[in-house]
Amino acid sequence: MTENITSFVGYAFIALGIFLWFWGTSFLPRKRSLLFKLHTLSVSDILGSIAIIIGLLVKLPSEWPLLILAIFSLAIWNTILGYVLAYCSSAGVDHE
Amino acid sequence: MIGHLILRLTLWFLLTSDFSLANITIGVAVALLLPRSYTSPEVWEDWLKALWKVVAVIPTAYMEAFEMILHPHHHEEIVMERVHPRRTPGLVFLDVFLITFTPKTIAIKHHKYGWYKVHRLHKGDDSCTRT
Amino acid sequence: MHSNIIIIPMMVALLIPFYEAYRDDNVWQKLLAFSSIACKTALITLVASVLRDDWMIGVVGVLILSVGNAGLMLLAHIVKRVNEA
Repeated sequence: MTENITSFVGYAFIALGIFLWFWGTSFLPRKRSLLFKLHTLSVSDILGSIAIIIGLLVKLPSEWPLLILAIFSLAIWNTILGYVLAYCSSAGVDHE
Repeated sequence: MIGHLILRLTLWFLLTSDFSLANITIGVAVALLLPRSYTSPEVWEDWLKALWKVVAVIPTAYMEAFEMILHPHHHEEIVMERVHPRRTPGLVFLDVFLITFTPKTIAIKHHKYGWYKVHRLHKGDDSCTRT
Repeated sequence: MHSNIIIIPMMVALLIPFYEAYRDDNVWQKLLAFSSIACKTALITLVASVLRDDWMIGVVGVLILSVGNAGLMLLAHIVKRVNEA
């Protein structure tokens, strides 16, 4: 019984993550500014991916150290990559 | 000094997940031997506050994500945001992380004296400004 | 069976940035699409490993996640320099 519940919770988190992936990525082919796409991609690629990994964590608690490391590195790398992309792409436009 | 050590050991144990004596020795030795940059001593209170903010920002980020999904946000604007000046590089990094992690705001540039150039989304229709 | 239900939508989501990278000529938009591809492929690796009960693949996924984006960051800086020159 508890196995069923944890399995369901895990799949629910994964489904939430995949939904966020689709929502955030669906803005990518539209004609919007780069920074707007960065906002939506941070929803999909950071928050959606974290939700998916939490779902995996519920399904497979024995591997928690590496999954926690995955969440940390995912959050830090993707956030800082967003900042670097925003900084580098706007640096050519205005010099301050 | 202690902060560096704790960070490195945490990463090491998360990566190896092995608490045998040999592994602990290797981890401590490597954490001590790796070069560290000599920055000005950081204030512990600032670090604790920053860590608490990191924990608190996660639910905020999900809230903002769902707000963006439910109500379309199409206004874009660039604002300047102010934080405490005279911070160490580590705390500046954390500030940039906190601003960029929430989906409605992205830090674009960090000026001296604690100013950040922030790109922000607002609620609204498609008809508005596109920068 | 279960694994297909999860993996196939993830693959479909992965196709969107591929399409964008193919279509858009602006180098920053391409770079944005590539960063999205990098994140999504690593996540697919991780999910596939857990669903197949093969944690060796999962370690690869975690390693990709923890070192993967450094190259894209360097590339962004290089493109910025080239644009300025």
